[in-house]
Amino acid sequence: MKRISKLLTMAILSGLFLNSCSSDDDINEPVKPQPENSYNDGFFVLNEGSQTAGTVTYISDDLQTSAQNIYEVVNEDDDLGEFIQSIVFEDDLAYIISNGSNLITIVNRYTFELVEKIDSGLLSPRYGVIENGKLYVTNQGSYEEPGATEFDDFIAIIDLESLTVEKTIENNTPLEFIEEENGLIYVQNAAFNNGNGITVIDATSNEIINTINTLENLNSFEIENGVLYALNTSSLEKIDLALGEVLSKIMIASEVGTPTNLVLEDGMIYYTIGNSVFTMSENAEEAPDEALFSYTTDSGQYGKMYGFEVEDDRIYIADGGDFSSNSFVEIYTTSGELLENITVGVGPNGFYFND
Amino acid sequence: MKTFIRYILILSYFTAVPVFGQADSITILDEVFLTDTKLKDFSTGQEVTILNDSVLKKNGALLTSALNFNTNIYFKENGLGMVSSPSFRGTSASQTAVLWNGININSQFNGQTDFNTINAGGYDNISIRGGGGSVVYGTGAVGGTVHLNTQLDFSKETQNDFFLQYGSFNSLDARYKLKTSTEKWSLSIALARNSSDNDYEWPGRYRKNENGEFYNNNLNVAIAYLLNENNTVKFYSEVFDGERHFALIRPSETKTKYQDFNNRSLLEWVSEFGDFISVAKMAYLDENYKYFDNIARENYSSGNANTFIGKYDLKFLVSEELQFNTVLSNTYTDGDGSGIEKNTRNIFSAALLMKHRPVEKLDYELGIRKEITGNYESPLLFSAAAAYNFTSYYSLKLNVSRDFRIPTYNDLYWRDAGNQNLSPETSNQVELGNQFNYRNFSLNLTGYYMQIDDMIRWLPAENGVWRPKNEESVEIYGLESKLQWENKIFNNHYLNLTGTYAYTVSENKNTGRQLIYVPFHKATAAVNYVFNDFSIDYQFLYNGDVFTRSDNNEKFKIDAYMISNLGISYDFGKENTFTIGARILNIFNEEYQNVEDRFMPGRNFNMYINFNP
Repeated sequence: MKRISKLLTMAILSGLFLNSCSSDDDINEPVKPQPENSYNDGFFVLNEGSQTAGTVTYISDDLQTSAQNIYEVVNEDDDLGEFIQSIVFEDDLAYIISNGSNLITIVNRYTFELVEKIDSGLLSPRYGVIENGKLYVTNQGSYEEPGATEFDDFIAIIDLESLTVEKTIENNTPLEFIEEENGLIYVQNAAFNNGNGITVIDATSNEIINTINTLENLNSFEIENGVLYALNTSSLEKIDLALGEVLSKIMIASEVGTPTNLVLEDGMIYYTIGNSVFTMSENAEEAPDEALFSYTTDSGQYGKMYGFEVEDDRIYIADGGDFSSNSFVEIYTTSGELLENITVGVGPNGFYFND
Repeated sequence: MKTFIRYILILSYFTAVPVFGQADSITILDEVFLTDTKLKDFSTGQEVTILNDSVLKKNGALLTSALNFNTNIYFKENGLGMVSSPSFRGTSASQTAVLWNGININSQFNGQTDFNTINAGGYDNISIRGGGGSVVYGTGAVGGTVHLNTQLDFSKETQNDFFLQYGSFNSLDARYKLKTSTEKWSLSIALARNSSDNDYEWPGRYRKNENGEFYNNNLNVAIAYLLNENNTVKFYSEVFDGERHFALIRPSETKTKYQDFNNRSLLEWVSEFGDFISVAKMAYLDENYKYFDNIARENYSSGNANTFIGKYDLKFLVSEELQFNTVLSNTYTDGDGSGIEKNTRNIFSAALLMKHRPVEKLDYELGIRKEITGNYESPLLFSAAAAYNFTSYYSLKLNVSRDFRIPTYNDLYWRDAGNQNLSPETSNQVELGNQFNYRNFSLNLTGYYMQIDDMIRWLPAENGVWRPKNEESVEIYGLESKLQWENKIFNNHYLNLTGTYAYTVSENKNTGRQLIYVPFHKATAAVNYVFNDFSIDYQFLYNGDVFTRSDNNEKFKIDAYMISNLGISYDFGKENTFTIGARILNIFNEEYQNVEDRFMPGRNFNMYINFNP
């Protein structure tokens, strides 16, 4: 692994995109042709891949242009690793986490040129968040079966200057989604609807300071205005973060599947069941009976709504397809009108907005 | 069109440029004595290729390599020595049955045989038969069957054979065979070890194959005792012990390894009385695996299946031209594993076979089989075949059959995922074979058509769980050809040539697209030239490009490749009891992958000695 000096990292950090690189970076690396593409006015779709490496698709904000395999285009003979799971942005960099290859690829988020790789200290990494110059990454280790009592999952705390794992935190639970709020790191102690609770880590001391109880079969969570929204397979709990009290519990029942993909955006709560999107106000006391809309898919239960996001008055849906060929994403208005259907790579699982 | 032209070039390449030869030919079936007598008796409409001991010494101990260079079977190999699954006539990995001395040994768990967990040094010959065979061989005999055979005789001779080969990547292939017999006793022992660091350079990638090391040991013992003129008792036993690390694609990946331990025994009593031949068999198969998903830890997942088979086979010879054969068998399996609750299953089957030669030029055979089991609904299987010898130069073969592949333990019982409502996959197929023989030249051209329904596929279901379903239908048609020629060209100069070519279309009927990892074209060639004690041989393999995506996206095809191997050897001693040789594999240093991101080795070498006092 080629080590690029801190100087170069700084140079790229300050260099911004396209032509504004300082001359410093010539010292350490031959000049590469500047890529024609810049990915600043749009979003990325992460395609996790199946038998082979995952890829990234770029789609412009106006939904009129898209580009596939944008990493491979500028970094020949390299790839992002198997089962790419998520992206974390910080300044001009994107940290792309490959769960199958225990690898984090750091690229310039505007050009997708390789900056550096983190390739040790990880074991099935999933999601990450950055705070105080540290990258916190959940790792699922060997993916214990449902019903297991011992877990090898851990949180790796990576120093962004040395790019090494400084510390690990074990919790003997599954560890999945991770969020930062007011200097605290919140980690979901459940994966694939198994487990419950949120572990809270102080990002200054890097110690566990609290565990918030939730109901079993926790699927996903969000934090907004001091309230934790925890979605499990049959209800949505609202928990006051300061007091630790359950504020309310909204039952969600469906014959076609269990709710998943909790998203809060602009005062609304969104979640999906099967191929349908549901929404209600943050203050709602009852779940809606009717879906906002449903989309057409050939994918089995697992591939439906494989990626889901709501951002700036648009709803983004990724369909897992057959996990063996290119699939698609669809972009809707928040009132459920289809804006565009766009082909992406294999197993699209998430949206990352580059602004 | 381009690929077609390329294939024409290849055809002309191995027909028009007979520079080297191969003395150890792939012989035609007749003269070989097989334990698996059904293979000889009931292959009327089908083509059987036999790889004898000397052919099996040419491609190392990994069975994948031996079959890859000598047959039409395509292999999907995850890097050299890693998991290797066959596609025989465009079918899936569990649609090729592997028979050990006539007993089906495909895994109870996944229904497949991994061809890199078979040591080619353990057998006297390996036979390959294309097309269906479920009436005789049961589940999985859809695309074709591979027969691992041990031979016993009462020749009263003793033969020892030592073979030791060492080569690149610290690869060792060591084999010892003993055959000895008296008038009443016959003994055969085959001991083989294969190991390799397997840390080859990835061509053009400046890195080595990491975590690819493997070893395996195989012991095969067979004993026969002639009780009297009409009664023989035979006992076959095999132990296989192997460990493979699974090679990494990227150095940061978690290192894993896999261990296999298999134990097989077969007791057989052959009795002849009047016009009857009765064969009573009892077999015990013990299958074990352990998978370490992180070699830094001691945890592993595992599976164990014990299978007991009782079989009674009665043949009635009505006349020299007509025979009937009934086969009753009962298979009891008891298996469990990390993902599988303890489960048993019992399958009873009855088969009736008939073979007739009404006129001298015509042979035909008929067979039906029905299984009875509580685990799934079993279809009535049948086969019908005929061969007609028009002249000594030309014969025509026809074979029609319905075959099946039963759901496996994983399919039925995998915790929270297994589906106990699965049906077997069934296939209906027909093939027409043309056999041309002229002096030392033979050519076989076989066209076939097959339809497979209720293909079991694991698909994503709720909560991230993949579950098996009878989902797909596949339509397959293609052409297989095999060519063979040997001749003495001058005094003491011998030349021998073999070649195969297969054209395969295997389409998912729902989508109309070619299945992934099934090439349209595959060709092999081998040429051997012998002069006195010196011999030189050349092997060639062409695998056409394959799709890796179910939508047949051209962008993600794996490119076609051609591999060539070259070997030389010299025989010493008055009786040629001592041979030394050397081989160069992949002489043109082709950079190739067989599976996406899985590089295969570039040019590499080995040397061997073979001693048979």
